[in-house]
Amino acid sequence: MTDFAVADLTTLTSTSSTPTPSDGSPVDCQPLDCNGLTTREINQALKAIAATGQASVTVLNPTGRHNLAVGLETSMLIRFEGSVGYYCGGLSDHANLDIQGNCGWSVGENLMSGQIIVRGDASANAAATARGGKICVLGNAGARAGISLKGATLIVLGNIGAGSAFMMQQGRMIVCGDAGANLADSIYEGEIFVGGAIASLGADAQVEPLTEADWQMLDRELGDWNVKAQDYAFKKVVCAKQLYNFKPRDFAQENAI
Amino acid sequence: MENPILHTSKTYTPEAIHAIQERAELGRYHIRGFGAFRNVPRLDDLVFLTASLTRLPLEGYREKCETKTMLGTRYAKRPIELEIPITIAGMSFGALSRNAKVALGQAATWMGTSTTTGDGGMLAAEREASAQLVYQCLPSRYGFDPKDLKKADAVEIVVGQGAKPGGGGLLLGQKVNQVVAGMRSLPEGVDQRSPCRHPDWIGPDDLRIKIEELREATDWQIPIYVKMGATRVKDDVKLAVKAGADVIVLDGMEGGTAATQSIFQEHVGIPTLPAIVQAVEALKEIGVYGEVQLLVSGGIRSGPDVAKALALGADAVSIGTASLIAMGCNKPIYVEDYHKLGTEPYHCHHCHTGLCPVGIATQEASLMERLPVEEAATHVANYLQAMVMETQAIARACGKSNVHNLEREDLVALTLEASAMAKLPLAGTDFVMGQ
Repeated sequence: MTDFAVADLTTLTSTSSTPTPSDGSPVDCQPLDCNGLTTREINQALKAIAATGQASVTVLNPTGRHNLAVGLETSMLIRFEGSVGYYCGGLSDHANLDIQGNCGWSVGENLMSGQIIVRGDASANAAATARGGKICVLGNAGARAGISLKGATLIVLGNIGAGSAFMMQQGRMIVCGDAGANLADSIYEGEIFVGGAIASLGADAQVEPLTEADWQMLDRELGDWNVKAQDYAFKKVVCAKQLYNFKPRDFAQENAI
Repeated sequence: MENPILHTSKTYTPEAIHAIQERAELGRYHIRGFGAFRNVPRLDDLVFLTASLTRLPLEGYREKCETKTMLGTRYAKRPIELEIPITIAGMSFGALSRNAKVALGQAATWMGTSTTTGDGGMLAAEREASAQLVYQCLPSRYGFDPKDLKKADAVEIVVGQGAKPGGGGLLLGQKVNQVVAGMRSLPEGVDQRSPCRHPDWIGPDDLRIKIEELREATDWQIPIYVKMGATRVKDDVKLAVKAGADVIVLDGMEGGTAATQSIFQEHVGIPTLPAIVQAVEALKEIGVYGEVQLLVSGGIRSGPDVAKALALGADAVSIGTASLIAMGCNKPIYVEDYHKLGTEPYHCHHCHTGLCPVGIATQEASLMERLPVEEAATHVANYLQAMVMETQAIARACGKSNVHNLEREDLVALTLEASAMAKLPLAGTDFVMGQ
């Protein structure tokens, strides 16, 4: 593996030759082309570009590569032109990613803050254990979406797969389409809004009525994507809190007529 | 009574009768702390053949006997350099009090070794007290924070632990106070059941990608350990190596826990002795012995245990329960509080209750005050120092000027079981059980 020196960035960035917009804000630097670079080199280049104060960068030819833009602490907009692999934006703080394609497993895993947009579909474990920020999937998300969610918001305009929101702890999921089997199994807290059909609920999950504040929140969140909440028959899924503490079955009660 | 002979069933022993009646009351499985109570073939079943006419011993107290230990030399730019081959195992803030966690870090620092976080995130005070801190990445990811990851000296991906391989952790509501709940993003007072699977990867092929993610997030600087409870050791070790681990951490069934189903502690996993042997064989079979280090834990209590683990081929050991005992777990003080729990000093396994009489496995401020940090740290450091001296004493008697030069040839087995598991000759014979 070759070490990617920061000095080599001159071949990737050319801010001096880029015209500055009239408002003086930094503009996009030259795109970063993944072709011929190792994952290590791509991530180091992204860190180096962020350190120059660039507002945004476009990444070309990500070709489904794993572990792009992981561990970043920058709000620089990173635009991926194409699909990315596992863990895109994982372990990041202040992320600002726009994935113009599909993404592999665990997009935005353990995200602390910021926003990740997936314009295509997301594979399994979208937003796994994410603690803050927002992850928006404009297509569908696969199995276990929002698994162990710890405070982030996951928006999916399409459907989500089976086992989604498994052991969710905090945060919010908004799904316009259908939810697969065993939704919200063993959740602790948090809320899940599903606009389509729910194949089945998992242990200790229950449906409760939406409040006016819920509808306003849905309008606000979905308005960003020109979606009207009222066009969907949203259901709200929360924890039934029956399994918070170990307790024996009450056989007499269960069999009472 | 004419003939007062009491007949005791070997099937329905008093313990079995009590267990049945306890479940009949509870309507669920029994949960407790501490680890396996049952007897298993263990390192005690091996003895050393020290020097006589065929080997020259080194002088027992002063002659140089190196204990330095390197972990994580495979890929990490900054491997862990330890002064001694004994580290402190991962135990959570939550299961343990703040004072206990800080004392462990302080003791490890004094002795030039590492300590490990646990299922509940990194305490700032623990980081401060620990010169070398291993940050666990557990299935629960409670409190997992990229900022803490960047402060870590190594990462340990926990697949399982010896007390409950295949099972998740438990922290009963009485220990989930406001601080613990806050760190874990959980409701206060909930009987918290940690997941047994990681949320973001499933099999070893995914683990390979997870490891790359952690390396990218830490700039390939720090070692990545993979910790597993000992079950199908050979396959697991090979898969973890293939996934890219720098260090294999293997925890035998004698390993401790603050709370889990007692059935797991007694009936799941294999003992540390055969686990070490299988792991070393696996590393040798795929040609990475020495390149990927082996850290073993589960019932390590003394210098002889350390020396035997090293002689069987481990690079280092980890202690958990024993370090807590050094700081006062099961000590005969505050005896009336042991009685309130329905137990006695030397028998207490009530970590799960959160009412630890000596302030170690508790979140009660009044109990934690019973554990002054400096005194606890001194006891742990003294104990580590004593174990190191014992290990060196054995190594010198075997003629070794480095504890890592202890070898299988220095050991024989006392029992047929140990002979079969360690693949060592039965003492005084040329017979190796099973070969």
